[in-house]
Amino acid sequence: MSKYSDGLTYGFTESTAPPVRETRIGVCSAYCGSCGDLIDDLVSGCAQLQARKFAQSGGCQLTLALGIVSSLTNVVVIIHSPLGCGSAFLGTGGMRKTMRMSKGKRDEDFVWIHTNMDETDVVQGGIEKLRGALLYAEKEYHPEAIIIGNGCVPGIIGDDIDSLALELQGSLSAKIVPVHCEGFKSRYVASGYDAAYHGVLRHLVEPVQYNERVLPDEGRDAMERYRISQTVNIFNVGSNSNSDEVELSRLVSALGLYPRVLPLHASMEDLAHIGDAALNVSICATHDDYLLGHLKERFGTDYLIDTLPIGVTSTNRWIRLIAEFFHLENEAERLIGFETRELEAALAPFREKLAGKRCYVGGGELRIITTAEFFATSLGMDLVGVKAHNIDRFVEELLENLHPTDLNVTVGAGQPAEELNVLNQLKPDLYIGHSGANGWASRFGVPNLPLFGQSLNYMGYSGAYELARRAAKVLKNTNFVKNVSRNVGIPLSRVWFEQDNRENIKETEKAG
Amino acid sequence: MSEFIERAKFACALGGAISTLTALPKVVPIVHAAGGCAGYLSNTYSMAAGYKGSGFCGGSMLPTSNIAEQNIVFGGEDRLAEQIEHTIFALDGDLYVVITGCQVEIIGDDSISVARRYRDRNVIGASTPGFLGNALRGYDSVLSSIVEDVVEPAGTRDPLTVNIFGAVPGQDVFYRGNLDEIKRLLGLIGIRANTFFATGENVASIKSYGAAALNLVLSPAAGIAPAERFQEVHGTPWLQTELPIGPSGSAVFLRQAGEALGVDRITVEKAIRAEDAAYYSFFERIVDIYSDLDLQRYAIVVADSYYAHPLTRFLANDLGWIPYLTAINDIEEADAQAAYTERFRDISSETKPLIVYERNAGRLLEIVRNSRPRNDNRKYYDALEPAYVVGSVIERGLAEKLGAGFLSVAFPVSNRVVLNRGYAGWTGGLALVEDLLTGIVASR
Repeated sequence: MSKYSDGLTYGFTESTAPPVRETRIGVCSAYCGSCGDLIDDLVSGCAQLQARKFAQSGGCQLTLALGIVSSLTNVVVIIHSPLGCGSAFLGTGGMRKTMRMSKGKRDEDFVWIHTNMDETDVVQGGIEKLRGALLYAEKEYHPEAIIIGNGCVPGIIGDDIDSLALELQGSLSAKIVPVHCEGFKSRYVASGYDAAYHGVLRHLVEPVQYNERVLPDEGRDAMERYRISQTVNIFNVGSNSNSDEVELSRLVSALGLYPRVLPLHASMEDLAHIGDAALNVSICATHDDYLLGHLKERFGTDYLIDTLPIGVTSTNRWIRLIAEFFHLENEAERLIGFETRELEAALAPFREKLAGKRCYVGGGELRIITTAEFFATSLGMDLVGVKAHNIDRFVEELLENLHPTDLNVTVGAGQPAEELNVLNQLKPDLYIGHSGANGWASRFGVPNLPLFGQSLNYMGYSGAYELARRAAKVLKNTNFVKNVSRNVGIPLSRVWFEQDNRENIKETEKAG
Repeated sequence: MSEFIERAKFACALGGAISTLTALPKVVPIVHAAGGCAGYLSNTYSMAAGYKGSGFCGGSMLPTSNIAEQNIVFGGEDRLAEQIEHTIFALDGDLYVVITGCQVEIIGDDSISVARRYRDRNVIGASTPGFLGNALRGYDSVLSSIVEDVVEPAGTRDPLTVNIFGAVPGQDVFYRGNLDEIKRLLGLIGIRANTFFATGENVASIKSYGAAALNLVLSPAAGIAPAERFQEVHGTPWLQTELPIGPSGSAVFLRQAGEALGVDRITVEKAIRAEDAAYYSFFERIVDIYSDLDLQRYAIVVADSYYAHPLTRFLANDLGWIPYLTAINDIEEADAQAAYTERFRDISSETKPLIVYERNAGRLLEIVRNSRPRNDNRKYYDALEPAYVVGSVIERGLAEKLGAGFLSVAFPVSNRVVLNRGYAGWTGGLALVEDLLTGIVASR
């Protein structure tokens, strides 16, 4: 079902920590050039060996790992590190609340604890503080799981958090889940997803043990088996909204299947039943091939890792592939025909406003390529360039379908200096970017739209409509960016803007 | 040794260093650490400090050496040097400050020496690994380096100029508004104040801070180290003072500063009288509603030591609320706790507050509940009501559970957007009354 993961092997859950993506999948994280050149250089392997002379801050895998596990219901997260790692919860704790409310889940305080490692702990180790924090979490909150996010400091000094977890496992009612997401170990921050799911797989995914019925009921058993045979697990991601999940569930239901959205915001009970499905469907390969690959091994559940259902083409493709698995091709074509007819008509007024406008898209690889394709194909916009955090095997085919082949492509997480240099040359009318990047586009005077949002719909047909609607809305008044760019400076030098971004790239010996 | 903390209201030292440096115009931090630290920590303050944003060169714009596993093995000094050279090329700054993360400090990179090689190109360095402590340690570290390497020795002292330390950008969500008001306050009695971060200040003006006659430290927990460094390097004495909020606090502050700098008392008292008169000419507007609706509240203050006493004093001495409980989250040593508790002797209400030191945010609900007899379904019960919680956004849950009003003032503040608002001075006192009482009448 998933040619992009062909040749990838799983079976890492016997180890305490997963391999990083640099070694497991291979990645290009620094590149400036054209789409065609990038495809060639990926094949020859030199794209994977590039790095930057002038680097700006990208992400940290701990952030991504904690983003996954902190969403789970009734958990306490312990960050085994100094106070900085995980500190962004101070600003995003409220977002968890919003998300739970939008999903109709019970409100609960999100609790996190820092072991607050200091200079003494660097020398003596921090295991005893971690023990104290675990006992405190158990006593004060009685969570179902306590998740330990391991930071760089204990990673470097070699604190053995797994032995402590093993030691306490029997004496606490909470399951203890060590997550090895030390930032320095990987520049490919999506390694953090593997780290999180590694912990989930090792400690939280336990098949439910069913007892035999006292009174046998074959009819009911058959119905249950049938239901499972028609159940599709849709694997959500931190960047999707509840309205995305509602739309994707609607489409899966329309095929006559039973959708179930996992694993973010799931309860321990939900996770226990993760194996009760016929097909596991990814909406973003960057997030979950590690989880889906391992679930296949453990439960035998087939999985689909392909495109991200943003825009008409990708949504159609996503539906067709799911339908194909269940031999529902005709149903899929009927659904697609109906939906696209309605959507195309609804998009017409926006196409009128947006056609011919120049757009540039930056962010995670799958999201940007599918979003860019939608703006170009469905709305007739002139795609002038894309910037991806990383490029790996999961987008090779999508890259080949990007036009034209001399399309400007930058690969790098963050790196607004290079991005603004590109924007300066390409002068797009609309920039669609990852959080953290849009503010710089604003300061640079380029009208912009966030690439994802917790309360916005991007996926499926309704998401395509919303995306078009919002793009057209942004261009209805561009005074904000005009005023900001005239009055708020950016720190980049004149000589930087005169330099070709390729000058900033260097060859390294080690991949990643 | 420090303890674990539930929902710590601080980032680490590197986070404080980044938040401090990005609050200075045309200052470029160069973060020698793993690639994610810089943007992540900047984001903590960008979001959780009333959406203060990236600043001049923060967020994803932050230059970083982006070291990885191979540097942990072989050292990262060469990579840092490369990053410094290319940063100077790419970014226009008046000052570049190399700051360090945990990884490079553990492996023993001498980052400050690498920075010194570029001293002639306005590069300095400060050691700021996360394990040094909370964000206040990062503020202390970078300001100490600026005091030593940027502030120039002054030929002559200006007897009526002071430098202000202790207002940590981001950690004080309202630092800009507060510092602008502090400048205004001191200006009332003829004192010129340098604050690093107030409107109009920059690297050029910071160079001249050596001419100050005195350094004032607003916080018991931040700013003392750079003030001491200042004394060592430039011979300038420092004085511990406090964030002045509202009429009572501002009067104490002006008298303290005036006395230290030899401003005559008549000038000081005249200024205080004029400000009091102006304050009460506005405050008068809420007298009717306050009295008719009985807007007096039991006040629960949950804050760091920078805000806890000043807020409590304002609520008790100026607004007339009942100071019920004040919880301080950042003082661990028993002696320091006792010294801080002494400050509350100036609370002039008939009822004095219960002072607790609690680093774990989740413990407060139980502390409040245990502070008085439980209801036990009694027919007549002297409830803690009407109550009002002034804390950080994390105390929203506490306020909800107590059925109390709520305003976030202390970091983190993610439920408000803050631009030039401040709570310092007489102006800030009025702003605080507006915000507190707006919370009560918002649904009318």
